[in-house]
Amino acid sequence: MNDRDNPARSGGPTGNAPRYSGWIGRLAGSSAYRFSIGMLAQSRAGRLAMLLAVPLLWIVVFHIGPIFQLARISFLQQFPIPAGSSGAYTWANYQIFFADSVYFVPFVRSLIFSACVTLAALVIVYPVAYYVAKVVDPRRRTKALLLLLVPFWAGELIRTFSVIMLLANRGAANVLMRELGLIDRPIPLLYNYFSLSFGVLYLIALFMLLPLYAAIEKIPSHLVDAAADLGAGPLTRFRRIILPLSKDGIVSGCSLVFLTCVGVFASPLLLGGPGTVIFPEIISAFFHGASDKWPVGAAFSMIMLVAALAIAGLFMRIVGGSRSTRFM
Amino acid sequence: MSDEAQGRSAGLLHRGSGFLAATTRQTSQRGSERDMNGLTTNRRQALKLMGVLAAPMIIRPRASWAQGKVLNITTYDKFVPQEFIDKFQSDTGIEVRIRLTDDQGKQYNLLTAEGSNPSTDIVTVTGHRLTQFINSNLLAAVDTGRLKNWGNLAPSYKDAPQLTIDGKVWGVPLLAGFEALARNTEYTKASDSWSILFDPEYKSYTSYIISDFLSITMRYLGKDGDYVTYEGKREEAQQATNEARDFLIKHKDMVRKYYDAGSEMQQMFVNEDIYLAQTWSGPTSKLIMDGHPIELSIPKEGTYGFLYSFNVVNNAPNADSAYLFLDAILASPEIGAAMTRQSGFTSTFNGVDKVLNDRERAASTLPEEQIQRIQFFSSVNRDMKNELIDRAVAEIKAA
Repeated sequence: MNDRDNPARSGGPTGNAPRYSGWIGRLAGSSAYRFSIGMLAQSRAGRLAMLLAVPLLWIVVFHIGPIFQLARISFLQQFPIPAGSSGAYTWANYQIFFADSVYFVPFVRSLIFSACVTLAALVIVYPVAYYVAKVVDPRRRTKALLLLLVPFWAGELIRTFSVIMLLANRGAANVLMRELGLIDRPIPLLYNYFSLSFGVLYLIALFMLLPLYAAIEKIPSHLVDAAADLGAGPLTRFRRIILPLSKDGIVSGCSLVFLTCVGVFASPLLLGGPGTVIFPEIISAFFHGASDKWPVGAAFSMIMLVAALAIAGLFMRIVGGSRSTRFM
Repeated sequence: MSDEAQGRSAGLLHRGSGFLAATTRQTSQRGSERDMNGLTTNRRQALKLMGVLAAPMIIRPRASWAQGKVLNITTYDKFVPQEFIDKFQSDTGIEVRIRLTDDQGKQYNLLTAEGSNPSTDIVTVTGHRLTQFINSNLLAAVDTGRLKNWGNLAPSYKDAPQLTIDGKVWGVPLLAGFEALARNTEYTKASDSWSILFDPEYKSYTSYIISDFLSITMRYLGKDGDYVTYEGKREEAQQATNEARDFLIKHKDMVRKYYDAGSEMQQMFVNEDIYLAQTWSGPTSKLIMDGHPIELSIPKEGTYGFLYSFNVVNNAPNADSAYLFLDAILASPEIGAAMTRQSGFTSTFNGVDKVLNDRERAASTLPEEQIQRIQFFSSVNRDMKNELIDRAVAEIKAA
């Protein structure tokens, strides 16, 4: 006789409803819970509602809700609204961006920087993903992937500071070059586009690696072997078979990396220099600058969001075709 | 709980009751169907359910920040020594909760958003931002009669004009700081002018906070970097700002990095990424105390100073605890010395210099001649200053 058959040992039913330990168990065993669940489960619509309720609630509260709040603030004349007064709405916060080229330069710089980093990430990470997916022994593939993921177990700031420790004038790279007698004075590797790109690439490589790996891993090896048998060289095999079949991964990876890059804030602040000021830094200044203009910062955030989504959507449409944009 | 919140709760309760009544009706109508499914609900269970669901609205516990033995303080990192907090807690039984801030604007926005129900009792406001807080009715004047240790403040800070407005005292002065020139003594020559930051010899080895250094550059160029004399003279202010802005854009290639936080500047000095910087005195003094080859000075063109104070929030939920805390912090120069050691800023308490050791004293004090060059930031014409400087900062960054 097992526990399931023994009500005494399992804390099982003494009446109609089984009894469970813990508050979740008590809730699940309560008549009210069982009644409401029973009511919902009777119809197809009810069952669908139960299935969708939690994920929808999650998306609305934690994803869409904050964006709507930001959009609302972007139209307010003043925020936070002082107690006892109601906020007036205005377009003026958006007009500031379009009326002044001062803000346009970092905006464009930000988009170009993100596009360049995305391209660099694709070029650098693609061979790595291919190596892990196709060259590494399948029994060791998980271990190889795990090794690549280890740095991402640390937080964004920790990884950014590790880049600073690497590239600073007294950092590991300069110390090594000095010890090898390659340089007399440290090379300024930090606070320029090099350090910024290096740091951001390091941060977002994962977003490129995983979609590429997933796409490349699915490519049947016999297709590549057949092409080789028919006389196709390595370049032709890559261009005619591997690249087209990994297009889904490229589109997903590039979109993820681009959208992440556009919004990245802490790393440019810590790794960038006077010539690398990008749009998120401008936006942040409105939230903690001398004037504390939250509505202007919110308006600029919305402009950035719309522009980034539009570019990513366009890219998915052009490169990925209609199949890639159906989820947008 | 505010009237608005109470109204919301009542509405919810009303709607909740309606829902429960409907549920009960449905329960009785569908009795036989329920029995078939084994889902029996009698009146007693329905009443229990109503009680459980309504409980959160009926009980309305007091907010955690408004409990009697709690004190909520919003302040900067390392301003209040942990040893002092521990002793205060054990002596009084009041739990001190520190909420860290790194920006005056964040405190202002938080208090504005919370309105008449603040979740903090004490905030840390600089003298030149006080009027913004007072005009928004966010602070309560300090009743110095309730602070028996008020006399322990250095005489020059006891009646500091930055904290006395309309005859009322609005804050307990804690620490004084100033914008200063910091240089690595191993790689740079001594200088008594801000011009060293524009010396081509140190190209790519300088750093500053743009908004702060814009004021100093205006002063360096013979203008009023605090905008007091530009009140009502917008065109003149704009012209002076533009001149400083253009000067900084012209010398942009001198800069290694624009920084925001003192810790960034400290890190750049330690890593030898920079040799020269415009800094706040506190973080630089800390570097000197820690033995780094850094010198702090106030160049001949002068600089601006600021005074940090603890301020009691209007409608503070734990005002009595706040006064107990403020009186305790003023009790002895050892506490002031500990605050100086932690933050690097100069204490406003009497007798602190006798408690600090030689290195600490050297790091946090300057020759009298240089001290005379400090002009404290004024609260006059702040809106114009903020607006023009914010825009100029964006232009310099974009250039």
